[in-house]
Amino acid sequence: MKAFGYVSAKDVAHAVALLGEHGAKAKILAGGTDLLVELKHAVHNPEIIVDISRLSELKTIAVADDGLHIGALATHGDIMNSSIIRDMFPAMVDAAHSIGAAQTRNLGTLGGNLVTCVPSMDSGPALIALEALVTVASSAGRRQMPLGELFVSPRKTSLKPGDLLVDIVIAKQNLSKPAAFEKFGLRKGQALALVNVGAAFFIDKGNFLCPRIALGAVAPTVIRAPKAEAYLEGRKISAEAMAEAGRIAATEAKPISDFRASADYRRDLVAVLVKRALASAQARAAAKQKELAA
Amino acid sequence: MTDVTMTINGQTRSASVPPETTLLQLLRENFNLTGAKLGCDVGDCGACTVIVDGQAVNSCLMLAGQADGRQVLTIEGLASREHLHPIQKAFENSGALQCGFCGPGVLLSAKALLDDNLDPSTQEIRDALSGNLCRCTGYTKMIEAVQEAARLLREESRTQLTHARPEVATP
Ligand SMILES: Cc1cc2nc3c(=O)[nH]c(=O)nc-3n(C[C@H](O)[C@H](O)[C@H](O)COP(=O)(O)OP(=O)(O)OC[C@H]3O[C@@H](n4cnc5c(N)ncnc54)[C@H](O)[C@@H]3O)c2cc1C
Ligand code: FES
Ligand code: FES
Repeated sequence: MKAFGYVSAKDVAHAVALLGEHGAKAKILAGGTDLLVELKHAVHNPEIIVDISRLSELKTIAVADDGLHIGALATHGDIMNSSIIRDMFPAMVDAAHSIGAAQTRNLGTLGGNLVTCVPSMDSGPALIALEALVTVASSAGRRQMPLGELFVSPRKTSLKPGDLLVDIVIAKQNLSKPAAFEKFGLRKGQALALVNVGAAFFIDKGNFLCPRIALGAVAPTVIRAPKAEAYLEGRKISAEAMAEAGRIAATEAKPISDFRASADYRRDLVAVLVKRALASAQARAAAKQKELAA
Repeated sequence: MTDVTMTINGQTRSASVPPETTLLQLLRENFNLTGAKLGCDVGDCGACTVIVDGQAVNSCLMLAGQADGRQVLTIEGLASREHLHPIQKAFENSGALQCGFCGPGVLLSAKALLDDNLDPSTQEIRDALSGNLCRCTGYTKMIEAVQEAARLLREESRTQLTHARPEVATP
Protein backbone atom coordinates (compact mmCIF):
# COMPACT_ATOMS: atom_id res chain seq x y z
CA MET A 1 0.00 0.00 0.00
CA LYS A 2 1.11 3.55 -0.70
CA ALA A 3 1.79 5.72 2.34
CA PHE A 4 -1.12 7.65 3.86
CA GLY A 5 -1.88 9.49 7.06
CA TYR A 6 -4.17 7.84 9.58
CA VAL A 7 -6.47 9.19 12.22
CA SER A 8 -8.92 7.30 14.37
CA ALA A 9 -12.11 9.34 14.92
CA LYS A 10 -13.27 9.63 18.55
CA ASP A 11 -16.95 10.28 17.89
CA VAL A 12 -19.28 11.22 15.04
CA ALA A 13 -18.68 14.95 15.47
CA HIS A 14 -14.92 14.37 15.31
CA ALA A 15 -15.30 12.21 12.20
CA VAL A 16 -17.49 14.83 10.47
CA ALA A 17 -15.01 17.58 11.38
CA LEU A 18 -12.09 15.55 10.01
CA LEU A 19 -13.96 14.74 6.81
CA GLY A 20 -14.97 18.39 6.40
CA GLU A 21 -11.39 19.48 6.88
CA HIS A 22 -9.78 17.01 4.48
CA GLY A 23 -12.57 16.74 1.86
CA ALA A 24 -11.64 14.68 -1.19
CA LYS A 25 -8.18 13.92 0.22
CA ALA A 26 -9.71 11.72 2.91
CA LYS A 27 -11.12 8.22 2.70
CA ILE A 28 -13.36 6.68 5.35
CA LEU A 29 -12.35 3.31 6.79
CA ALA A 30 -15.15 1.28 8.41
CA GLY A 31 -14.39 -2.47 8.37
CA GLY A 32 -11.77 -2.02 5.67
CA THR A 33 -12.65 -5.29 3.91
CA ASP A 34 -13.27 -3.47 0.67
CA LEU A 35 -11.11 -0.38 1.14
CA LEU A 36 -7.91 -2.25 2.04
CA VAL A 37 -8.16 -4.34 -1.12
CA GLU A 38 -8.62 -1.14 -3.14
CA LEU A 39 -5.71 0.57 -1.39
CA LYS A 40 -3.50 -2.45 -2.11
CA HIS A 41 -4.49 -2.25 -5.77
CA ALA A 42 -3.94 1.55 -5.68
CA VAL A 43 -7.52 2.22 -6.87
CA HIS A 44 -7.51 5.16 -4.44
CA ASN A 45 -4.54 7.10 -3.16
CA PRO A 46 -5.96 9.06 -0.22
CA GLU A 47 -3.74 11.40 1.75
CA ILE A 48 -5.49 10.47 4.95
CA ILE A 49 -7.57 7.58 6.23
CA VAL A 50 -10.28 8.50 8.72
CA ASP A 51 -10.87 5.34 10.74
CA ILE A 52 -14.46 5.34 12.03
CA SER A 53 -14.39 1.74 13.29
CA ARG A 54 -14.45 2.80 16.95
CA LEU A 55 -17.58 4.94 16.77
CA SER A 56 -19.81 2.81 19.00
CA GLU A 57 -22.72 5.26 18.43
CA LEU A 58 -22.86 3.99 14.84
CA LYS A 59 -23.14 0.34 15.88
CA THR A 60 -26.53 0.44 17.58
CA ILE A 61 -29.52 -1.42 16.22
CA ALA A 62 -32.69 -0.06 17.82
CA VAL A 63 -36.35 0.71 17.22
CA ALA A 64 -37.32 4.39 17.50
CA ASP A 65 -40.62 6.23 16.88
CA ASP A 66 -40.03 6.41 13.14
CA GLY A 67 -38.86 2.84 12.64
CA LEU A 68 -35.85 0.55 12.89
CA HIS A 69 -32.44 2.23 12.88
CA ILE A 70 -29.40 0.15 11.95
CA GLY A 71 -26.12 1.98 12.58
CA ALA A 72 -23.86 2.16 9.52
CA LEU A 73 -21.10 0.39 11.49
CA ALA A 74 -23.19 -2.66 12.41
CA THR A 75 -21.19 -5.55 10.98
CA HIS A 76 -22.82 -8.36 9.02
CA GLY A 77 -22.10 -10.53 12.08
CA ASP A 78 -23.86 -8.02 14.37
CA ILE A 79 -26.88 -8.10 12.07
CA MET A 80 -27.00 -11.91 12.11
CA ASN A 81 -26.85 -11.90 15.92
CA SER A 82 -29.28 -9.04 16.57
CA SER A 83 -32.45 -10.36 18.20
CA ILE A 84 -34.34 -7.30 16.92
CA ILE A 85 -33.37 -7.96 13.30
CA ARG A 86 -33.87 -11.72 13.59
CA ASP A 87 -37.39 -11.06 14.80
CA MET A 88 -38.47 -8.14 12.60
CA PHE A 89 -36.37 -8.50 9.52
CA PRO A 90 -35.12 -12.04 8.91
CA ALA A 91 -34.50 -11.24 5.22
CA MET A 92 -31.65 -9.00 6.37
CA VAL A 93 -30.20 -11.87 8.42
CA ASP A 94 -30.21 -14.08 5.32
CA ALA A 95 -28.51 -11.32 3.30
CA ALA A 96 -25.85 -10.76 5.97
CA HIS A 97 -25.19 -14.50 6.30
CA SER A 98 -24.67 -14.83 2.55
CA ILE A 99 -21.78 -12.35 2.57
CA GLY A 100 -18.23 -13.72 2.22
CA ALA A 101 -17.20 -15.87 5.17
CA ALA A 102 -17.08 -15.37 8.95
CA GLN A 103 -13.85 -13.33 8.83
CA THR A 104 -15.37 -10.85 6.36
CA ARG A 105 -18.71 -10.68 8.20
CA ASN A 106 -16.93 -9.92 11.49
CA LEU A 107 -15.22 -6.82 10.04
CA GLY A 108 -17.40 -5.75 7.10
CA THR A 109 -20.15 -3.27 7.93
CA LEU A 110 -23.60 -2.60 6.50
CA GLY A 111 -22.68 1.02 5.71
CA GLY A 112 -19.47 -0.04 3.97
CA ASN A 113 -21.37 -2.59 1.91
CA LEU A 114 -23.88 0.00 0.66
CA VAL A 115 -21.23 2.66 -0.05
CA THR A 116 -19.11 0.27 -2.15
CA CYS A 117 -22.08 0.51 -4.52
CA VAL A 118 -21.12 -2.66 -6.39
CA PRO A 119 -24.07 -4.10 -8.36
CA SER A 120 -23.82 -7.45 -6.52
CA MET A 121 -23.84 -6.04 -2.96
CA ASP A 122 -25.89 -8.40 -0.83
CA SER A 123 -27.30 -5.82 1.59
CA GLY A 124 -29.02 -3.82 -1.15
CA PRO A 125 -31.97 -5.85 -2.47
CA ALA A 126 -33.85 -6.58 0.78
CA LEU A 127 -33.38 -2.99 1.97
CA ILE A 128 -34.56 -1.57 -1.37
CA ALA A 129 -37.58 -3.89 -1.28
CA LEU A 130 -38.42 -2.45 2.15
CA GLU A 131 -37.89 1.11 0.87
CA ALA A 132 -35.17 1.83 3.43
CA LEU A 133 -33.89 5.36 4.04
CA VAL A 134 -30.34 6.42 4.82
CA THR A 135 -29.18 9.23 7.09
CA VAL A 136 -26.08 11.16 6.04
CA ALA A 137 -24.11 13.59 8.23
CA SER A 138 -21.74 16.30 7.06
CA SER A 139 -20.52 19.64 8.39
CA ALA A 140 -23.73 21.11 6.87
CA GLY A 141 -25.88 18.93 9.15
CA ARG A 142 -27.92 15.75 8.68
CA ARG A 143 -30.16 14.75 5.80
CA GLN A 144 -32.20 11.69 4.95
CA MET A 145 -32.92 10.15 1.55
CA PRO A 146 -34.25 6.93 0.07
CA LEU A 147 -31.50 4.29 -0.17
CA GLY A 148 -32.09 4.09 -3.93
CA GLU A 149 -30.88 7.69 -4.27
CA LEU A 150 -27.53 6.71 -2.78
CA PHE A 151 -26.77 4.45 -5.72
CA VAL A 152 -25.57 6.20 -8.90
CA SER A 153 -23.55 3.69 -10.93
CA PRO A 154 -21.07 0.86 -10.26
CA ARG A 155 -18.79 2.02 -7.41
CA LYS A 156 -20.30 5.53 -7.45
CA THR A 157 -22.70 6.88 -4.83
CA SER A 158 -24.31 10.31 -4.52
CA LEU A 159 -22.24 10.99 -1.37
CA LYS A 160 -19.96 14.02 -1.58
CA PRO A 161 -16.54 14.35 0.02
CA GLY A 162 -17.19 15.11 3.70
CA ASP A 163 -20.35 12.97 3.88
CA LEU A 164 -20.66 10.23 6.48
CA LEU A 165 -23.37 7.58 6.25
CA VAL A 166 -24.83 7.39 9.75
CA ASP A 167 -27.65 4.89 9.72
CA ILE A 168 -30.13 2.93 7.68
CA VAL A 169 -33.80 3.30 8.61
CA ILE A 170 -36.72 1.02 7.88
CA ALA A 171 -39.87 3.06 8.33
CA LYS A 172 -42.36 1.96 10.96
CA GLN A 173 -45.12 1.08 8.44
CA ASN A 174 -42.76 -1.36 6.68
CA LEU A 175 -41.50 -3.17 9.77
CA SER A 176 -44.25 -5.77 9.70
CA LYS A 177 -43.99 -6.25 5.94
CA PRO A 178 -43.11 -9.85 5.07
CA ALA A 179 -39.85 -9.88 3.11
CA ALA A 180 -37.27 -12.32 1.79
CA PHE A 181 -33.79 -12.38 0.24
CA GLU A 182 -32.49 -14.92 -2.26
CA LYS A 183 -28.98 -15.19 -3.68
CA PHE A 184 -27.36 -17.47 -6.19
CA GLY A 185 -23.56 -17.66 -6.33
CA LEU A 186 -21.17 -20.22 -7.78
CA ARG A 187 -20.45 -21.63 -4.30
CA LYS A 188 -22.26 -21.60 -0.94
CA GLY A 189 -19.52 -19.68 0.85
CA GLN A 190 -17.19 -16.85 -0.18
CA ALA A 191 -18.97 -16.16 -3.49
CA LEU A 192 -20.40 -12.98 -4.95
CA ALA A 193 -23.97 -13.10 -6.23
CA LEU A 194 -24.61 -13.95 -9.86
CA VAL A 195 -28.05 -12.60 -9.03
CA ASN A 196 -29.63 -11.58 -5.73
CA VAL A 197 -33.23 -10.61 -5.11
CA GLY A 198 -35.25 -8.93 -2.38
CA ALA A 199 -39.05 -9.11 -2.24
CA ALA A 200 -41.65 -7.72 0.15
CA PHE A 201 -45.44 -7.37 0.15
CA PHE A 202 -48.37 -6.97 2.50
CA ILE A 203 -51.21 -9.44 2.34
CA ASP A 204 -54.69 -7.97 2.00
CA LYS A 205 -57.48 -10.59 2.07
CA GLY A 206 -55.31 -13.04 0.17
CA ASN A 207 -54.11 -10.44 -2.36
CA PHE A 208 -50.72 -8.81 -2.91
CA LEU A 209 -50.60 -5.28 -1.47
CA CYS A 210 -47.71 -2.88 -2.19
CA PRO A 211 -45.43 -5.60 -3.65
CA ARG A 212 -41.81 -4.52 -4.01
CA ILE A 213 -39.17 -6.47 -5.94
CA ALA A 214 -35.48 -5.52 -6.04
CA LEU A 215 -32.86 -7.12 -8.28
CA GLY A 216 -29.09 -7.11 -7.71
CA ALA A 217 -26.14 -7.88 -10.00
CA VAL A 218 -28.24 -7.51 -13.16
CA ALA A 219 -27.96 -3.74 -13.75
CA PRO A 220 -25.45 -0.97 -12.95
CA THR A 221 -26.98 -0.67 -9.46
CA VAL A 222 -29.66 -2.51 -7.49
CA ILE A 223 -32.94 -1.87 -9.34
CA ARG A 224 -36.65 -2.32 -8.71
CA ALA A 225 -38.81 -4.36 -11.09
CA PRO A 226 -41.81 -2.01 -11.51
CA LYS A 227 -43.63 -4.05 -14.19
CA ALA A 228 -43.53 -7.20 -12.07
CA GLU A 229 -44.71 -5.15 -9.07
CA ALA A 230 -47.61 -3.67 -11.10
CA TYR A 231 -48.60 -7.15 -12.28
CA LEU A 232 -48.83 -8.38 -8.67
CA GLU A 233 -50.59 -5.35 -7.15
CA GLY A 234 -54.08 -6.39 -5.99
CA ARG A 235 -53.74 -9.85 -7.56
CA LYS A 236 -54.69 -13.01 -5.67
CA ILE A 237 -51.63 -14.65 -4.12
CA SER A 238 -50.77 -17.90 -5.92
CA ALA A 239 -47.75 -19.88 -7.08
CA GLU A 240 -48.68 -19.07 -10.71
CA ALA A 241 -48.74 -15.32 -10.02
CA MET A 242 -45.32 -15.57 -8.35
CA ALA A 243 -43.87 -17.46 -11.32
CA GLU A 244 -45.34 -14.92 -13.78
CA ALA A 245 -43.89 -12.04 -11.73
CA GLY A 246 -40.51 -13.78 -11.98
CA ARG A 247 -40.82 -14.03 -15.77
CA ILE A 248 -41.77 -10.33 -16.01
CA ALA A 249 -38.91 -9.30 -13.71
CA ALA A 250 -36.48 -11.22 -15.95
CA THR A 251 -37.47 -8.92 -18.84
CA GLU A 252 -36.71 -5.88 -16.66
CA ALA A 253 -33.19 -7.06 -15.76
CA LYS A 254 -30.29 -5.75 -17.84
CA PRO A 255 -27.54 -8.21 -17.00
CA ILE A 256 -24.10 -8.42 -18.56
CA SER A 257 -22.11 -11.50 -19.53
CA ASP A 258 -18.83 -11.93 -17.70
CA PHE A 259 -16.51 -14.72 -16.58
CA ARG A 260 -18.98 -15.72 -13.85
CA ALA A 261 -22.09 -16.18 -15.99
CA SER A 262 -23.80 -15.20 -19.24
CA ALA A 263 -26.54 -12.58 -19.40
CA ASP A 264 -29.08 -15.25 -20.43
CA TYR A 265 -28.23 -17.39 -17.44
CA ARG A 266 -28.58 -14.40 -15.13
CA ARG A 267 -32.00 -13.58 -16.62
CA ASP A 268 -33.15 -17.15 -15.98
CA LEU A 269 -31.89 -16.84 -12.42
CA VAL A 270 -33.93 -13.66 -11.93
CA ALA A 271 -37.12 -15.51 -12.86
CA VAL A 272 -36.37 -18.33 -10.43
CA LEU A 273 -35.12 -16.21 -7.54
CA VAL A 274 -38.03 -13.73 -7.71
CA LYS A 275 -40.48 -16.63 -7.55
CA ARG A 276 -38.58 -18.13 -4.60
CA ALA A 277 -38.31 -14.82 -2.73
CA LEU A 278 -42.04 -14.18 -3.09
CA ALA A 279 -42.84 -17.70 -1.88
CA SER A 280 -40.45 -17.38 1.02
CA ALA A 281 -41.95 -14.02 2.09
CA GLN A 282 -45.40 -15.60 2.00
CA ALA A 283 -44.21 -18.58 4.07
CA ARG A 284 -42.76 -16.14 6.60
CA ALA A 285 -46.04 -14.25 6.81
CA ALA A 286 -47.92 -17.50 7.39
CA ALA A 287 -45.47 -18.58 10.11
CA LYS A 288 -45.80 -15.20 11.84
CA GLN A 289 -49.60 -15.44 11.72
CA LYS A 290 -49.46 -18.88 13.32
CA GLU A 291 -47.12 -17.57 16.00
CA LEU A 292 -49.49 -14.68 16.78
CA ALA A 293 -52.53 -16.98 16.84
CA ALA A 294 -50.83 -19.39 19.26
CA MET B 1 3.84 6.76 12.28
CA THR B 2 0.99 5.13 14.18
CA ASP B 3 1.60 4.06 17.77
CA VAL B 4 -0.18 0.87 18.72
CA THR B 5 -0.45 -1.07 21.96
CA MET B 6 -2.41 -4.28 22.11
CA THR B 7 -2.62 -7.50 24.07
CA ILE B 8 -1.25 -10.34 22.00
CA ASN B 9 -1.61 -13.84 23.43
CA GLY B 10 -2.00 -12.32 26.89
CA GLN B 11 1.02 -10.02 26.69
CA THR B 12 0.99 -6.27 26.17
CA ARG B 13 2.96 -5.34 23.05
CA SER B 14 3.62 -1.92 21.57
CA ALA B 15 5.08 -0.69 18.30
CA SER B 16 5.33 2.41 16.16
CA VAL B 17 4.63 1.57 12.51
CA PRO B 18 3.76 3.35 9.25
CA PRO B 19 -0.07 3.79 9.06
CA GLU B 20 -0.32 1.51 6.03
CA THR B 21 0.99 -1.47 8.04
CA THR B 22 -1.54 -4.31 8.25
CA LEU B 23 -2.09 -6.26 11.45
CA LEU B 24 -0.57 -9.26 9.63
CA GLN B 25 2.63 -7.35 8.86
CA LEU B 26 2.77 -6.07 12.44
CA LEU B 27 2.48 -9.60 13.84
CA ARG B 28 4.98 -11.18 11.48
CA GLU B 29 7.54 -8.42 11.01
CA ASN B 30 7.46 -6.47 14.27
CA PHE B 31 6.60 -9.21 16.74
CA ASN B 32 8.08 -12.24 14.93
CA LEU B 33 4.79 -14.10 15.24
CA THR B 34 4.96 -15.89 11.90
CA GLY B 35 2.16 -18.40 12.55
CA ALA B 36 -0.37 -16.26 10.68
CA LYS B 37 0.50 -16.64 6.99
CA LEU B 38 0.37 -14.32 4.02
CA GLY B 39 -1.61 -16.11 1.31
CA CYS B 40 -3.74 -14.01 -1.01
CA ASP B 41 -3.43 -10.65 0.82
CA VAL B 42 -7.02 -9.75 -0.18
CA GLY B 43 -9.33 -11.59 2.23
CA ASP B 44 -10.05 -14.69 0.17
CA CYS B 45 -7.94 -17.48 1.67
CA GLY B 46 -8.00 -17.13 5.48
CA ALA B 47 -4.31 -18.08 5.93
CA CYS B 48 -3.87 -14.86 7.94
CA THR B 49 -6.84 -15.51 10.28
CA VAL B 50 -6.36 -14.36 13.89
CA ILE B 51 -8.88 -13.75 16.66
CA VAL B 52 -9.46 -10.11 17.63
CA ASP B 53 -11.72 -9.43 20.62
CA GLY B 54 -13.14 -12.93 20.30
CA GLN B 55 -13.86 -12.82 16.57
CA ALA B 56 -12.02 -14.44 13.67
CA VAL B 57 -10.77 -11.81 11.21
CA ASN B 58 -8.38 -11.71 8.27
CA SER B 59 -5.35 -9.82 9.58
CA CYS B 60 -4.33 -8.91 6.00
CA LEU B 61 -7.47 -6.73 5.79
CA MET B 62 -7.01 -4.92 9.10
CA LEU B 63 -4.68 -1.99 9.66
CA ALA B 64 -2.43 -2.26 12.70
CA GLY B 65 -4.08 0.97 13.91
CA GLN B 66 -7.51 -0.69 13.89
CA ALA B 67 -6.21 -3.30 16.34
CA ASP B 68 -4.86 -0.69 18.78
CA GLY B 69 -6.12 -1.43 22.30
CA ARG B 70 -7.63 -4.79 21.35
CA GLN B 71 -7.05 -8.40 22.40
CA VAL B 72 -5.38 -10.48 19.71
CA LEU B 73 -4.96 -14.26 19.75
CA THR B 74 -2.62 -15.89 17.25
CA ILE B 75 -1.82 -19.56 16.76
CA GLU B 76 1.26 -19.08 18.96
CA GLY B 77 -1.10 -18.43 21.89
CA LEU B 78 -3.05 -21.67 21.58
CA ALA B 79 -0.74 -24.29 23.10
CA SER B 80 1.22 -24.08 26.33
CA ARG B 81 4.71 -25.55 26.66
CA GLU B 82 3.20 -28.61 28.31
CA HIS B 83 -0.04 -29.16 26.43
CA LEU B 84 -1.40 -28.86 22.94
CA HIS B 85 -4.80 -27.17 22.86
CA PRO B 86 -7.62 -29.76 22.41
CA ILE B 87 -8.26 -28.39 18.91
CA GLN B 88 -4.61 -29.02 18.01
CA LYS B 89 -4.77 -32.49 19.56
CA ALA B 90 -7.88 -33.33 17.57
CA PHE B 91 -6.32 -32.10 14.31
CA GLU B 92 -3.22 -34.20 15.03
CA ASN B 93 -5.22 -37.31 15.91
CA SER B 94 -7.41 -37.01 12.83
CA GLY B 95 -4.53 -36.29 10.44
CA ALA B 96 -6.55 -33.27 9.36
CA LEU B 97 -3.66 -31.26 7.92
CA GLN B 98 -1.12 -32.10 5.23
CA CYS B 99 1.33 -29.32 4.33
CA GLY B 100 -0.09 -27.22 7.17
CA PHE B 101 0.04 -23.79 5.51
CA CYS B 102 -3.67 -23.21 6.05
CA GLY B 103 -3.50 -24.71 9.55
CA PRO B 104 -3.09 -21.66 11.81
CA GLY B 105 -6.05 -19.97 10.12
CA VAL B 106 -8.24 -23.07 10.15
CA LEU B 107 -7.53 -23.76 13.82
CA LEU B 108 -8.33 -20.19 14.84
CA SER B 109 -11.57 -20.19 12.82
CA ALA B 110 -12.44 -23.43 14.60
CA LYS B 111 -11.55 -21.86 17.97
CA ALA B 112 -13.76 -18.83 17.33
CA LEU B 113 -16.62 -21.21 16.51
CA LEU B 114 -16.09 -23.49 19.53
CA ASP B 115 -15.72 -20.56 21.96
CA ASP B 116 -19.33 -19.74 21.04
CA ASN B 117 -20.79 -23.17 20.43
CA LEU B 118 -19.48 -26.40 21.97
CA ASP B 119 -21.83 -28.59 19.96
CA PRO B 120 -21.77 -27.33 16.37
CA SER B 121 -23.55 -29.17 13.56
CA THR B 122 -21.61 -30.21 10.45
CA GLN B 123 -23.26 -27.31 8.63
CA GLU B 124 -22.15 -24.84 11.30
CA ILE B 125 -18.58 -26.16 11.05
CA ARG B 126 -18.58 -25.87 7.26
CA ASP B 127 -19.91 -22.33 7.58
CA ALA B 128 -17.23 -21.37 10.12
CA LEU B 129 -14.43 -22.79 7.93
CA SER B 130 -15.75 -21.48 4.60
CA GLY B 131 -13.29 -18.58 4.66
CA ASN B 132 -10.26 -20.87 4.98
CA LEU B 133 -8.97 -22.36 1.76
CA CYS B 134 -6.90 -25.52 1.84
CA ARG B 135 -5.18 -26.82 -1.28
CA CYS B 136 -4.23 -30.19 0.21
CA THR B 137 -6.87 -31.91 2.27
CA GLY B 138 -10.38 -31.70 0.84
CA TYR B 139 -11.71 -30.54 4.24
CA THR B 140 -13.47 -33.76 5.30
CA LYS B 141 -10.96 -34.64 8.00
CA MET B 142 -10.89 -31.05 9.22
CA ILE B 143 -14.61 -31.17 9.84
CA GLU B 144 -14.19 -34.46 11.71
CA ALA B 145 -11.35 -32.91 13.71
CA VAL B 146 -13.52 -29.96 14.77
CA GLN B 147 -16.22 -32.42 15.85
CA GLU B 148 -13.61 -34.35 17.84
CA ALA B 149 -12.28 -31.09 19.35
CA ALA B 150 -15.81 -30.13 20.37
CA ARG B 151 -16.16 -33.50 22.09
CA LEU B 152 -12.84 -33.04 23.93
CA LEU B 153 -13.80 -29.53 25.01
CA ARG B 154 -17.23 -30.65 26.20
CA GLU B 155 -15.57 -33.39 28.24
CA GLU B 156 -13.11 -30.87 29.63
CA SER B 157 -15.85 -28.48 30.67
CA ARG B 158 -17.86 -31.34 32.22
CA THR B 159 -15.01 -32.67 34.33
CA GLN B 160 -14.00 -29.04 35.03
CA LEU B 161 -10.34 -29.90 35.27
CA THR B 162 -8.85 -28.23 38.29
CA HIS B 163 -5.39 -28.19 36.72
CA ALA B 164 -6.73 -25.60 34.29
CA ARG B 165 -4.89 -25.48 31.01
CA PRO B 166 -3.19 -22.10 30.64
CA GLU B 167 -4.66 -20.20 27.67
CA VAL B 168 -1.40 -18.58 26.83
CA ALA B 169 2.08 -19.83 26.09
CA THR B 170 4.98 -18.15 27.84
CA PRO B 171 7.55 -17.36 25.20
C1 LIG C 1 -13.18 -12.12 0.73
C2 LIG C 1 -14.30 -11.14 0.57
C3 LIG C 1 -15.58 -11.60 0.30
C4 LIG C 1 -16.63 -10.69 0.16
N1 LIG C 1 -17.86 -11.20 -0.11
C5 LIG C 1 -18.91 -10.35 -0.27
C6 LIG C 1 -20.22 -10.86 -0.54
O1 LIG C 1 -20.45 -12.07 -0.64
N2 LIG C 1 -21.22 -9.96 -0.70
C7 LIG C 1 -21.03 -8.61 -0.60
O2 LIG C 1 -21.99 -7.86 -0.74
N3 LIG C 1 -19.79 -8.09 -0.33
C8 LIG C 1 -18.73 -8.93 -0.17
N4 LIG C 1 -17.48 -8.43 0.09
C9 LIG C 1 -17.27 -6.97 0.08
C10 LIG C 1 -17.17 -6.28 1.45
O3 LIG C 1 -16.70 -7.15 2.44
C11 LIG C 1 -18.48 -5.73 1.94
O4 LIG C 1 -18.99 -4.84 0.99
C12 LIG C 1 -18.38 -5.03 3.29
O5 LIG C 1 -19.66 -4.89 3.85
C13 LIG C 1 -17.73 -3.67 3.19
O6 LIG C 1 -17.82 -3.04 4.46
P1 LIG C 1 -16.55 -2.45 5.20
O7 LIG C 1 -17.05 -1.93 6.50
O8 LIG C 1 -15.48 -3.44 5.26
O9 LIG C 1 -16.20 -1.26 4.21
P2 LIG C 1 -14.84 -0.46 4.01
O10 LIG C 1 -13.90 -1.29 3.23
O11 LIG C 1 -14.38 0.12 5.29
O12 LIG C 1 -15.40 0.73 3.11
C14 LIG C 1 -15.93 0.50 1.82
C15 LIG C 1 -16.19 1.86 1.15
O13 LIG C 1 -17.25 2.54 1.80
C16 LIG C 1 -16.80 3.78 2.36
N5 LIG C 1 -17.49 3.87 3.65
C17 LIG C 1 -17.52 2.90 4.62
N6 LIG C 1 -18.32 3.27 5.64
C18 LIG C 1 -18.82 4.50 5.31
C19 LIG C 1 -19.71 5.40 5.97
N7 LIG C 1 -20.28 5.12 7.15
N8 LIG C 1 -20.01 6.58 5.34
C20 LIG C 1 -19.46 6.89 4.13
N9 LIG C 1 -18.62 6.07 3.48
C21 LIG C 1 -18.29 4.88 4.05
C22 LIG C 1 -15.30 3.68 2.41
O14 LIG C 1 -14.69 4.92 2.32
C23 LIG C 1 -15.00 2.80 1.21
O15 LIG C 1 -15.00 3.57 0.05
C24 LIG C 1 -16.40 -9.31 0.26
C25 LIG C 1 -15.12 -8.85 0.56
C26 LIG C 1 -14.07 -9.74 0.72
C27 LIG C 1 -12.71 -9.24 1.04
S1 FES D 1 -3.80 -13.61 3.27
FE1 FES D 1 -5.43 -12.73 4.35
S2 FES D 1 -7.13 -13.80 3.58
FE2 FES D 1 -5.51 -14.53 2.31
S1 FES E 1 -2.93 -28.59 4.57
FE1 FES E 1 -1.90 -27.72 2.86
S2 FES E 1 -3.12 -25.97 2.48
FE2 FES E 1 -4.25 -26.98 3.96
